[in-house]
Amino acid sequence: MSCREKRTRHGAAILTLFACFLLSSAGQAQEAANTFRQSCMSCHTIGGGKLVGPDLKGVEERRDREWLLGFIVNPSSVLASGDAYALKLKDEAGGVIMPTVVGMTRERAEAILDLIAGESQLEESQFAGLDIGDEPFSEADIERGRQIFRGDVRLANGGPPCLSCHTVEGLGGLGGGRLGPDLTKVYERLQGRKNLASWLLAPATQTMQPVYAKASITNEEILPLVAYLEDEAQIGTADTTTAQVIFLILGLAGAVLGFVAADSVWRGRLRAVRRPLVRGER
Amino acid sequence: MDVRSQVSMVFHLDKCIGCHTCSIACKNIWTDRQGTEYMWWNNVETKPGTGYPTIWEDQERYKGGWEKGNGKLHLKSTSKARVVANIFHNPHMPSMDDYYEPWTYDYQTLFNAPEGNDQPVARPVSRVTGEYMEIEAGPNFDDDLGGSPIYAMNDPNLEGLNSEQREQLFAVERLVFFYFPRICNHCLNPSCVASCPSGALYKRGEDGIVLIDQKRCRAWRSCVAACPYKKTFYNWHTGKSEKCILCYPRLETGQAPACFHSCVGRIRYLGVLLYDAELIDEVASRPDDELVEAQRQMILDPFDVKVIAAARKNGIPDDVITHAQMSPVYQFVKVWKIALPPHIEYRTLPMLFYVPPMSPVMASRENDTISHLSTDLFHDIDESRVPMQFLANLFGAGHEGKLRYALYKQRAVRLYRRAITVGDIDVETAARALREANCSPEEADEIYRLTSLCTFEERFVIPPMHREEAIQMLEDPHGHRQSVGFGFTAGPRRGL
Repeated sequence: MSCREKRTRHGAAILTLFACFLLSSAGQAQEAANTFRQSCMSCHTIGGGKLVGPDLKGVEERRDREWLLGFIVNPSSVLASGDAYALKLKDEAGGVIMPTVVGMTRERAEAILDLIAGESQLEESQFAGLDIGDEPFSEADIERGRQIFRGDVRLANGGPPCLSCHTVEGLGGLGGGRLGPDLTKVYERLQGRKNLASWLLAPATQTMQPVYAKASITNEEILPLVAYLEDEAQIGTADTTTAQVIFLILGLAGAVLGFVAADSVWRGRLRAVRRPLVRGER
Repeated sequence: MDVRSQVSMVFHLDKCIGCHTCSIACKNIWTDRQGTEYMWWNNVETKPGTGYPTIWEDQERYKGGWEKGNGKLHLKSTSKARVVANIFHNPHMPSMDDYYEPWTYDYQTLFNAPEGNDQPVARPVSRVTGEYMEIEAGPNFDDDLGGSPIYAMNDPNLEGLNSEQREQLFAVERLVFFYFPRICNHCLNPSCVASCPSGALYKRGEDGIVLIDQKRCRAWRSCVAACPYKKTFYNWHTGKSEKCILCYPRLETGQAPACFHSCVGRIRYLGVLLYDAELIDEVASRPDDELVEAQRQMILDPFDVKVIAAARKNGIPDDVITHAQMSPVYQFVKVWKIALPPHIEYRTLPMLFYVPPMSPVMASRENDTISHLSTDLFHDIDESRVPMQFLANLFGAGHEGKLRYALYKQRAVRLYRRAITVGDIDVETAARALREANCSPEEADEIYRLTSLCTFEERFVIPPMHREEAIQMLEDPHGHRQSVGFGFTAGPRRGL
């Protein structure tokens, strides 16, 4: 191998390393943005106002970075330690605890804080959230929301309809799925249409996130869904404990009815012969 | 004419002493395995009595056999649709208690019981659960209990008897019972075969023995419900049903079945019959009072040239035809007409026939001497202590005609032989009795000979089974031997 060739190879190696460094820092920023979009945006905005969680614009002015890192990586342990500020946040969120984001590390949390710091400088952040206004929804919106919920109208990006895992009261028939929570009162639980819309923009729970990460619900679908759920919250009552007890009682009654039906179908079956005979019952 | 051969049987009830030797012989050979403890392929019942399983003759409960509806025969227990609907719950299944819970005894306590005030006893242990149990019933719990208000009075054959007859039947000093040994009847129209959803039951072509294929049986137990004689049993250990196989391995080697061979009273006769299989459907659909005669008409004369030709055409070997000509069953059933099928009203056309019993002589004991209360030893049939109606319910589908004929002929033979051997009855009376019973002196001699003096060879005329040819109908024996060897390599087990 000649000297010249060696030098060329060294040069190439250095170039590659440099390119890698550049790409990785750009990559890290991009990854943090994705993470924020997928995992944080359902409850937080940057400069868009409070949702379930607080507005994160200039968050580092309120708490120091070390506390924030600890909280992002493992919120429940900070809460469990009895941290006063964390408990206050919980109260403000109406008792909702921030979920632990799967795969969250200190490094990724740092990147997210960097992102928040950067976005906080901007006039209009890309994470300001979805604003769908305050004017009342039309009947058409509510109807379309029902159709989307039931799966009569398919989600544009191919995600599964809400009905697969959730139910609301008044759905008719056997209701919807029971894997996810009853959504009759979700509008009230999440405190308003803005929160609900943000949630639908990027559902952050462990079950919903992978399902909708590649098949996100579009803004045009979120509006009617929010309309539908707002309507449901006003007219429906949630599946409470009473409802569950009623369901249990109905189930037991059904089982008893089943036994009675089987007994009447097989009424003429052969019962004991010898024992009644010996007891003189024949 | 579709001539087929059937190994058939006659049990002479007047000769049965109720010793249960047949049952024990059968049990020792076939049903001493786990899961079969409760089965008695051969059992001996006391009549009047409820039998085994309890009140098996009451088809309103057990739903065995066939019934006639819109001109066709239907199984009482099931149908093509019902077999599907009831496949996991057969509603007409006898429970283990209706048979009995089999038991043994804990003999060890006789030896190692601690010292105490009482004699140690061997406690009964269930052979199903293995735990101590109280014995409540057995396969012959009503044995000899002819007057029992529980068992005898609940005999379904008492139907149609007036209260006076019933009173007589159970009155002290008139009390009467007789024995009724039962095995599978190897019927011509078997309801067990018809009911099987798996097609596991079949009637062997060459000798008519009804068998359950242990490899095809799927334990649906339809046969248990469908058999009106309750002679198919469910083996809870192997998960297969089993039944009397008429000791076919013994028959194939020229030996009488174990229960026949061991019979102390020599009540059992076995021989081959030729019958016309084309008539089965028609005969089984006849009205009750014609059934006995119709079944006799199905049985063909083995000496008839046309029958022989048709039998040959159907592939029945010549030596089987020869044995059919020597068959004692043919004599009892067709020629003398003194053997009758049990409960032919179930319409399965049973091929085990019974010579109905004369009432036994009544005796009593006074001052250490035994005396006969009856001065008229050979009284009239209608004065018999067993009411005619009772026997008619058992052997004549409720109709007395055929039964009366059979009993009169037996009585005539007795009078005739008494006149010859003892001489206290004059020959003229005997001859008149024979005439009235439609019996010639020659026939009476033959009946007497086959009833009383019969040798082993006369009782059991076992036809050659020609298994080599029977197997060839199904497969090439040489190829079969090369591919799998002979016989089962493993016993039947639960599952597929």
